[in-house]
Amino acid sequence: MKSYHDIAGDGGSDVIGQVVAKRAQIAESLADVRHMVAIGSGKGGVGKSTLTMQLAQALRAGGSRVAILDADLNGPTQARLGGLRTAPVVPGPRGIVPPKTANGIGVVSMGALFPESEAVDFDSVARGDSYVWRATREFSAFGDLLAGVGWGALDFLLVDLPPGPERTFQYAEFLGAAAAFVLVTIPSDVSRGVVSRAVAAMRKTPNRVLGYVENMSGYFCGGCDVVRPLFPVASPVVDLGIPRLGAVPFDPELAAACDRGATLADARRPALRAIHAVAAEVARLLEVRA
Amino acid sequence: MKFLCVLCDQPMKLVAMAPPDRGALSIVYECPACAHRVAMLTNPLETQVVTSLGVQLGPGSGDVAKCPFSGMVQEMAAGAPGTPADAAPAAITWASAALERLQRIPDFVRPMARSGIEQYARERGIAEIDEAVLDHAKDFFGM
Repeated sequence: MKSYHDIAGDGGSDVIGQVVAKRAQIAESLADVRHMVAIGSGKGGVGKSTLTMQLAQALRAGGSRVAILDADLNGPTQARLGGLRTAPVVPGPRGIVPPKTANGIGVVSMGALFPESEAVDFDSVARGDSYVWRATREFSAFGDLLAGVGWGALDFLLVDLPPGPERTFQYAEFLGAAAAFVLVTIPSDVSRGVVSRAVAAMRKTPNRVLGYVENMSGYFCGGCDVVRPLFPVASPVVDLGIPRLGAVPFDPELAAACDRGATLADARRPALRAIHAVAAEVARLLEVRA
Repeated sequence: MKFLCVLCDQPMKLVAMAPPDRGALSIVYECPACAHRVAMLTNPLETQVVTSLGVQLGPGSGDVAKCPFSGMVQEMAAGAPGTPADAAPAAITWASAALERLQRIPDFVRPMARSGIEQYARERGIAEIDEAVLDHAKDFFGM
């Protein structure tokens, strides 16, 4: 009697063929993207999204063509950070035309589609079982976004990932080896411990991990013009085993600007100087093959 | 998933699929050698798991993999402040090329795209949306 592998195709629906076709659409949509960089962490609340937008701003300030895809479908923030919460969706010749920030960063985020008062809710014919299928549905929707946007020619496509070491790993598998990763932590040992798990998970993928950014690395007091410690220094510090790309202090004024969908004009502030240095290092590393 | 006619040792072919019934699917397979037919009946959870891949099942099953947020979109539209039912906005038509563009974007973005562009057109007294209108909208919104 024939076994599964003796029979070509699946009898009619060609489910695998459809999935392969979707992958081809994604590849075609990203054909003119030079570098895809996923910003992840493993830990939530460490400032991934803010850092993603500010890295995009720094890269854009350097003359690069930059766009952001908000992969956090359930807690999207990039539309707000980019000041694009009410941006309309315009169908272009090659898919959605990405709405742009005032300085030309394309931003695609579910936050522009659904108001913040709404939980993102997938249709289901089987209520009460979403834990079984939800992740699959989310990746399908994420793939639709990757394939359905006219990204055009970009130097950098930054992908803002949702939290969770397992999610970081899953997105690495989904995006494939072409996506480089930057991980974000805060100085606390708790955070470094979780990010360490994400680093361990990433070792099982072919993706290049450029390094990590230590966010909230001190607190910038604008009144005193100094950076003061924000977290106690643990001893010994959890070694993440990947390069540190930079350390960004917490700046309340930058946080307030981000909430307004803006950034700060004064590039001399320590946080922005640090972010620009990280952006330059990311760009440099991407030009050097691993 | 594949189906094998054990008697003929032949893979069976999908020949028909009934419309979804309360989340359940009925998919009929036939052996090309002996014409014996069997039906695969899925429960709602099984249907949900497969359609979560974002794929179409069988011929003419477009409804199964439609916008994954249609319930949410309908709720938002029903709760939106705005036009009373007896003051329906003027109808807007879409030229075929513009409609093709709309069809190329993801299902779950399409309702927002359609309503946003139609509002843009309505505000400008435009009765038909063509590619030029879409391009103007793109420029107008600074994209």
